[in-house]
Amino acid sequence: MTSAWLAFRTVQRYRARTALAAIGVAIIGALLFDMLLLSRGLVASFADLLDRSGYDIRVVNSEGVSVSRTPIPHASTVSAAIERLPEVASVARIRLEPATVAGGDGSDLDVTVIGSTRAGGRIAWTVVEGSDLPDGSASTEPCPVLVGRNLANALHLQPGATLQLRADVPGQQSALPPIPCRIAGIANSLFASANEFEVLTTMRGLREVRGGTDNDDADLVLVASAAAIDPAVTVRAIAALRPDLRVYSNDDVVDQFNRNGFAYFRQISVVLSSITVVFTFLLVATILTVSTNQRLGEIAALRALGIGRRRIAAMLLWESVLIVGLGGLAALPLGGLVAAGLDRILKQMPGVPSALHFFVFEPRALGLHALLLSATALVAALYPMWLTARLPIASTLRREVVG
Amino acid sequence: MTAARPIVEARAVGRVFPMPAGPVTALRDVSLRIDAADYIAITGPSGCGKSTLLHLVGCVDAPTSGSIVFENRDVHSLTEAERSRIRLTRLGFVFQRFFLLPMLTARENVELPQAEAGVDASTRRARAAELLEYVGLIDRADHLPSQLSGGEMQRTAIARALANRPALLVADEPTGELDEDTGTHVADLFDRVHADGTAILLVTHNAALAARAFRRYAMKNGRLIS
Repeated sequence: MTSAWLAFRTVQRYRARTALAAIGVAIIGALLFDMLLLSRGLVASFADLLDRSGYDIRVVNSEGVSVSRTPIPHASTVSAAIERLPEVASVARIRLEPATVAGGDGSDLDVTVIGSTRAGGRIAWTVVEGSDLPDGSASTEPCPVLVGRNLANALHLQPGATLQLRADVPGQQSALPPIPCRIAGIANSLFASANEFEVLTTMRGLREVRGGTDNDDADLVLVASAAAIDPAVTVRAIAALRPDLRVYSNDDVVDQFNRNGFAYFRQISVVLSSITVVFTFLLVATILTVSTNQRLGEIAALRALGIGRRRIAAMLLWESVLIVGLGGLAALPLGGLVAAGLDRILKQMPGVPSALHFFVFEPRALGLHALLLSATALVAALYPMWLTARLPIASTLRREVVG
Repeated sequence: MTAARPIVEARAVGRVFPMPAGPVTALRDVSLRIDAADYIAITGPSGCGKSTLLHLVGCVDAPTSGSIVFENRDVHSLTEAERSRIRLTRLGFVFQRFFLLPMLTARENVELPQAEAGVDASTRRARAAELLEYVGLIDRADHLPSQLSGGEMQRTAIARALANRPALLVADEPTGELDEDTGTHVADLFDRVHADGTAILLVTHNAALAARAFRRYAMKNGRLIS
């Protein structure tokens, strides 16, 4: 006949009260769980996305601002020099060009043409139909392309069909003719958003789309460190080789985003988590206090019978733990469902890669969820416990009889 | 021949309740000695102080003057834990409103004080069965209080009060919520409890119940009248 057993019998006896309280805690707890998933979810997902790209270092030009950098000139020379470093396993040059394709209704669709020195499979494009682009400069075909799934769906494209790509010249009406490019395959790009159209081609294909001009620029050079080499070591080697360029490891990129863009999500998450914890506390404390006040006569009688204050206080604490525990457990699947729904909505934001998630499950979030709810259960039980510990037995019994 | 040692002694106790409209004196210079063989009834009108005296004797309240001595120990000098221990092991309380725990069966209610006293599960189960048999409720042992009548609840409460074999049973209007016939059955039970060796102090409006006691007192304006 422990305090926990007495508490269990109490919550069992007052089923409706227990169910209402647990449902309340479950709803609030689900929001708390979601906020905990959100607090690190985007960062964890972004880091995972970068790691899955197959490259652990990014090299960009140091000129220009971060959102609009000047491309790296003489990029083939730069990448060749980097590739010769013993710390480096492989290098890929990436060049982005805006372009248009003719839509089904005669209007033009804006697309981003990505020129790469590597096959799609080497830069996180997963071919779902047809075949990949050739790796390196082995291709003799003028303009083979991998079409992103969004564009293929929008224009009902199939491998083997021809896509007419016209490069945009920034700042003026394009005078370049559309170039027919053969669709080698349909692919999912790791970094493509739900509402963006992308086309991947070889550097030669990109040159064709640009009307045969080749300025040997690259927006980005991706570098994979050699096996067992710490990316930080490779970053130092590249920075020493080309101090005029900016070199970032994946960790650096994540860290930078964590301090800048993702900080808002973390702050929102902290504020909302705190509010949900306060609401949980208020809900449980109110229910326990009301329930204790309804049972003052019973509690005074127990004290008169010699039942110790500690046992009665422990019983109330266990009641709190049981209510919060039940609600907290129910909060997990509920929070998971809400997180999945919110994740789908947030991923519709322009420019957000489809593979990126805002809510990511980590054991740490589960541990923190349990810890915060346990602490809330304890704090919520403190006032009712204090109330019973200080209960004047004689006057309470007298009041109960008179009442 | 030496006099029997009293279980509890109220020595010139007074009790004043501070109230917003001014202090109210509930007890004035009351002395009462309760020995092992005693069966005492206190009667009097509402508000005369009889429940206050019972609470003092039952160690749930403290006098503002005088002293309560329980088995040779001044209750005022004891800690709350020590007073609680006395209530648990040496006293049994019976209340007008029974105050059984609604989520526990009759048997579990009887077991509860024993569990608090550290009695092992099989012993307390056997003792609960013995007491429920004693009060005629063995066939209702697994019923919740909500499934019992008023008389049955009060008999269960008496069984609970006897669980740790107290020296003194104190009862505050034990028939106050019962009809006459049921009250008579409960009164019979008190007679049996006393005959079996437990001292009884009860306060009541019920003249028939009070008439069964060996010593009877009336209270008026906070004073005990023999």
